[in-house]
Amino acid sequence: MQLDTVRQEPGAALGTAPKHDELRRPWRQRLPLLPALVFTVLLTQVPFLMNIWYSLTDWTIVPPTPREFIGLDNYGDLPSDQFFRDAAWVTVEMTVSAVLLSLVLGTLLAVLLDRAFFGRGVARTLLITPFLVMPVVAGLIWKNQMFSGLYGVVNWVTARVGMDSIEFVSRYPLWSIVVVLVWQWTPFMMLIMLAGLQSQPADVLEAAKVDGASGFGTFRQLTLPHLRPYMELGTLLGTIYLIQVFDQVAVMTGGGPDSTNIPYFVYQRSIGGGWEFGKASAYSIAVVVASIVVATVALRVLSRLLRGEEIA
Amino acid sequence: MARSAGGQRGVGERRSVNAVMAVVAWLTALVFFFPVFWMILSSFKEEQDAYTSPKLLFSPTLDRYSDVTETSTGLLSFREAFFNSFWVVTVSTVVVLLLAIPAAYALAIRPVPKWRDVLFFFISTKFLPVVAAILPLWILARNFDLLNTRLVLMILYTGMNLPLAVWMLWSFFREIPRELIEAAELDGAGLRGQLASVILPIALPGLAATALLCVIFAWNEYFYAVQLNPADGSTIPIWVTTNISTRGNFLAKLSAASVLACVPVVLAGWLAQKRMIRGLSMGAIK
Amino acid sequence: MASVQFASATRLYPGTHQPAVSHLDLEIHDGELMVLVGPSGSGKSTALRLLAGLEPLDEGAVFIGDRDVSGVRPRDRDIAMVFQNYALYPQLTVAENMGFALKQHKVPKEERTARVREVARVLALEPFLERKPKNLSGGQRQRVAMGRAIVRKPQVYLMDEPLSNLDAKLRVQTRAELAELQARLAVTTVYVTHDQVEAMTMGHRVAVLRDGVLQQCDTPHALYHEPVNLFVAGFIGSPAMNLFRCASGQPIRIGGCALDLDAAMTSRLASFGGDRVVVGLRPEAVHVGEGPLAAHIRTVEDLGAEAFVHVAFDHEGETAFAVSKMPAPFKGQTGDDIDVGLAGTVHVFDPVGPRIATGPGRFAPSD
Repeated sequence: MQLDTVRQEPGAALGTAPKHDELRRPWRQRLPLLPALVFTVLLTQVPFLMNIWYSLTDWTIVPPTPREFIGLDNYGDLPSDQFFRDAAWVTVEMTVSAVLLSLVLGTLLAVLLDRAFFGRGVARTLLITPFLVMPVVAGLIWKNQMFSGLYGVVNWVTARVGMDSIEFVSRYPLWSIVVVLVWQWTPFMMLIMLAGLQSQPADVLEAAKVDGASGFGTFRQLTLPHLRPYMELGTLLGTIYLIQVFDQVAVMTGGGPDSTNIPYFVYQRSIGGGWEFGKASAYSIAVVVASIVVATVALRVLSRLLRGEEIA
Repeated sequence: MARSAGGQRGVGERRSVNAVMAVVAWLTALVFFFPVFWMILSSFKEEQDAYTSPKLLFSPTLDRYSDVTETSTGLLSFREAFFNSFWVVTVSTVVVLLLAIPAAYALAIRPVPKWRDVLFFFISTKFLPVVAAILPLWILARNFDLLNTRLVLMILYTGMNLPLAVWMLWSFFREIPRELIEAAELDGAGLRGQLASVILPIALPGLAATALLCVIFAWNEYFYAVQLNPADGSTIPIWVTTNISTRGNFLAKLSAASVLACVPVVLAGWLAQKRMIRGLSMGAIK
Repeated sequence: MASVQFASATRLYPGTHQPAVSHLDLEIHDGELMVLVGPSGSGKSTALRLLAGLEPLDEGAVFIGDRDVSGVRPRDRDIAMVFQNYALYPQLTVAENMGFALKQHKVPKEERTARVREVARVLALEPFLERKPKNLSGGQRQRVAMGRAIVRKPQVYLMDEPLSNLDAKLRVQTRAELAELQARLAVTTVYVTHDQVEAMTMGHRVAVLRDGVLQQCDTPHALYHEPVNLFVAGFIGSPAMNLFRCASGQPIRIGGCALDLDAAMTSRLASFGGDRVVVGLRPEAVHVGEGPLAAHIRTVEDLGAEAFVHVAFDHEGETAFAVSKMPAPFKGQTGDDIDVGLAGTVHVFDPVGPRIATGPGRFAPSD
């Protein structure tokens, strides 16, 4: 090989990386991350640890008892706690129906909005508004103006077709809440599915057209599979957000056997009137454990969606 | 090759199909928007108009707005609630950005080892139910004498929005071409110089969208506010609920209050529309 | 102005097994334009980034002048870089782009403006000083990228495929301008490209890399006429060198026709131990029209001033292909039978790489 002679520099050790390496400065690199990270860790982990501690006691405020360590007794009571089980069931019903309904509706809306038509931008803006409305406002407006047995718009409409007036929120507390949730979250699903539709490569659709596929056939065989990761994402995120619904429950039904979900239940048992701090903490921890299970599944799905195969 | 906007009418496609779908789309949009429309309409009514079977024709008045915004002693006033909300939202959003921008830099531009794990940690905090933390937070707030203050909400809202902001900014920063950062590095710009001269100017739209989303979530937040601040530091969402009364008619007043409460966020959302989905999907969708 | 030296420089990306750059020993003289060339994955860009400080060294060292810069931050190395996609700051004007580095180093405003203006004049960018990059053509942006580097008056220029985003015609034109500019400025330049024509026309010397390993560093002339191994021989030169695997016993036969080689070559070949060799013939050494080798034409590429004739013939029981460079116009078309002769430089290689011998040769007259 024709090589140029290597100049030997005094003091430069060949074959080793330099000691004062300014290029790799791992701690300097980590520095910008620390404030955000430390803040989040403190704010999330400290309450968690406190919860664990309280859950191992029998602390109540009303009636005030001295806080005594009772080990895992609170947890032992959980499975037989009918109210807790009811709340869990309500949560499942509420979340699953709201997520599914808004997903389906959102997909349909996305299909409608995917084509160009006059005033599409305005239509879109109108459609996302429910998502922006303050949840307490949404709950109050629907309860008092839409669903009201006496003055409600919905009843006015059904009266036109001869049906009796129904006080929706009293008769169907859970479903009334679900309607409001679907109303507010459909735009969210719609935006996600719209992004999915618009990320479909145009040439694939054109090839299908040339090959003679019908509109519906193309949708079923090409578009729906393409939309699957978006649907997963929507379901995932929707579930995360909807499991924690509190505002609408609080202002529409204020609890009650059929519409109390876990968040409201825990609130009720702690500072919302129950003041049973020990027990409430146990509920919280149980919920956290369940969330971790859901979250692990969620993270795996999300990770798959994000790692390398970015959507859009 | 992805489509930019939805499909145009293709050759041979029946004009009528397109028209029908457009009509359906518009009808649906109007139906969805109706409750909001009704709320706005009712806010201009006299109370008896609001209570009689849906009336579309009436003589509009601004009285309900003055009703809800007048200050009476002992009750939470609009002014006070707005003031509190404004400060809580503004300060928490600013702090969120101050924390999230460097964090996103450390995750996107000069990724630290295990940056993926860090991102997932941030998002995992969103999975934990807010309600589970309320008791310890309430106790801590009481012990630090922070109940009924704006400060406790500022802290909590910062924590609430921080993961969202970190994810959104990470996804926006990632799009900055690496060469640009390297060129700035070679030219002598450090972290601050790179942020000021290259990153923030390019990511400005994304930054704005992030801020808007943080504002939306903080403004609308009810749970923490009502648990920790039922009296002095109360925010707009709480104020809205005080407009229901068990005596007398309140629908029109409630509507007026609701409109006032929702206007800032709805406007913010309309502005951030295009980029909103990125934050809502945790950066998974552009 | 300074020399550059790589001393056993190595970069191994975490998680990979093969180094991107492996023990690179390379010395670049002061004022020289050194081209690093190679196929993608050869490590040429990585080597450049090691010099820039954008990648850390895993082993070895890098020197600029007498200074060991191995652990020094890019901004402190006194270098300037032209990126493949130009990396212009989109929200700054041309003038601000060019002055950015000076501003970061706290150069006073008057001096900054004067220097920017001077470089703009040299590069004919004066009319564009207040424009933003998005309002410039590709060629103009390329010049701004160059200007940004020049204005800094560094010790070394680094260029990472600066011309590959230009269209073909503009590329040829800019190539010449660049070479002329470099000669005038006389600043050490390290230039990376995958285009061997660019390498051959611009570099004072060219370093050919493959899979992270330096194959040969030499003047273009030496690379062309004295390639050190099979890879370099096949990489440099367009159309590529014709290569034929043959039995090593003398006389070496291509397509059945014996090669007539001079005494020096014959003795070198005799002392070679293997039983297979690879014979390399550049297209200008292969003549079609008359000769002992029977072939037929596959296609003729008529470029106006010259023609490349692709032929096929029988060699050791299989079909072999060759390209011949002939003066245009060339009479002959696809399918024609034609005779092939040889008169020019013959290279003989060991099949695993190194060159054995080179010398004049021709086909022996047919028996």
